Amino acid sequence: MEGILFPHGVPEGRESLSAYRSRGGYEALGKALQASPKELIKIVSDAGLRGRGGAGFPTGKKWQFTREAPEQPRYLIVNGGEDEPGSKKDRVLLENLPHLVLEGAILGAYAIGATKIYLYINAQYDAATQSINDAIAEAKNAGYLGKNILGRGFDLDIEVTAAPHNYVAGEDTAVIEVIEGKKAWPRQKPPFPVTVGLFGKPTLVNNVETLANVAPIALRGADWYGKFGTTESSGTMIFSLNDDVNRPGVYELPFGTPLRYLIEECGGGMKNGKKIKAIMPAAPSSAFLPADKIDTPLDPNSMRDAGSALGCGVVRLIPKGTCIVEEVLKISEFFTAESCGQCPACRMETSTLTMMLKKVQAGQGGQPILEQFGKILAFNKGKGFCSLIGMPGPPIESALKLFPADFAAHLTTGNCPEN
Amino acid sequence: MTELQKRIDDKGLTDVEVKSYMCFGACQEGPNIVLYPEKNWYAKVKVEDLDEITEHLAGGPHVQRLDTIDSSLKELIYQLLDTGVM
Repeated sequence: MEGILFPHGVPEGRESLSAYRSRGGYEALGKALQASPKELIKIVSDAGLRGRGGAGFPTGKKWQFTREAPEQPRYLIVNGGEDEPGSKKDRVLLENLPHLVLEGAILGAYAIGATKIYLYINAQYDAATQSINDAIAEAKNAGYLGKNILGRGFDLDIEVTAAPHNYVAGEDTAVIEVIEGKKAWPRQKPPFPVTVGLFGKPTLVNNVETLANVAPIALRGADWYGKFGTTESSGTMIFSLNDDVNRPGVYELPFGTPLRYLIEECGGGMKNGKKIKAIMPAAPSSAFLPADKIDTPLDPNSMRDAGSALGCGVVRLIPKGTCIVEEVLKISEFFTAESCGQCPACRMETSTLTMMLKKVQAGQGGQPILEQFGKILAFNKGKGFCSLIGMPGPPIESALKLFPADFAAHLTTGNCPEN
Repeated sequence: MTELQKRIDDKGLTDVEVKSYMCFGACQEGPNIVLYPEKNWYAKVKVEDLDEITEHLAGGPHVQRLDTIDSSLKELIYQLLDTGVM
């Protein structure tokens, strides 16, 4: 299947500038600079590109909001913080296709009228950071970055910043805080970064994968892009599969591809021939789906209708023989540890949920404890500065609904039913 | 906590235990003292307030001015305490 980001399959090794140019690299930039930024925004909007960081906000709209913000200067941040457990798509893009990411970022900067790009890259990604630094040097030499880009009077500076290794550090406003030299604490919104962002100026924060889609769209047009995916969700998405399948890795698929294709054709099925007990289409924060939802199309609307979400494409499969209580406890412990702690509601919610799940695991509290989960989640809904407070809810509530026997067994015997 | 314990000891209240607890989600209103199982919640407590709180524990009046926490949060936390979750 032809891809947009991986037209010849998942790339092996770093693509050099000459290799990138030989397949049309930086032609989109030349073409875009001949036209106005507004036209570029229109192409991206018409293509229907949406953010690939998890929230799925329309990219063209975000660009337009930033472009229309009156303050100057404006900044573009490439968000490669990528600290979702199991996600590796941004690392692969930065490491192997640095010029694809870079050209998308330069185009984005041109569209919004930014004077500087900040590349925010997970501090643990040594090879990706090296790769992108080399690409920056190559692009500067070739006249794609710096002063008077391609002789069109467009000046653009660029800087690489290391992203701390914690989950919240990938949240847009936490990213801004880190680049400003502060700790990774999300800001209260509004104001949103598109109007008041980095150093108080209009700032566009786009995920690595989102920007990687821009040059192909700008070069080949919105209609071409629309041929991939579904009517509501055009394009492709990179999905990450991990050790629960025979062939872990990243796979680019058009939106709307059945989940079964990803698991069986791409991933080679479950490891050791195990059967699926539950599917988590957007680990670790989506609702579990039962195994019979394996034919659900991989697009945000279909996943929502099935009762879950698509997030940033980390698909986890829970094999039969796994206790869901143990699984949600691990997920809850993750969010408790990753809560930055600045919002009291989030601190209370995440720590209480974990403590309650530990009690369930140990067979304490009886049935009344199960009734408290929904109350805590409902009480804290919409509170907090960022979305982390809403993340433990879908896995916990779906687990309670889909696998009540696992909870009941723990509560009555104090033991895992799957052991 | 040390100051509160001292006052409780001085008053001879042997059936009161002072202990720190997990987050109740009201740290912005802290320091918080929750009297349980009688269910009273005092927020933004200062050392100067401790004598009145100790009096309350000894059967004195409720300290109305420190009872400022949102009732829905109080209800949630009391329920969690009642079910033995916390």
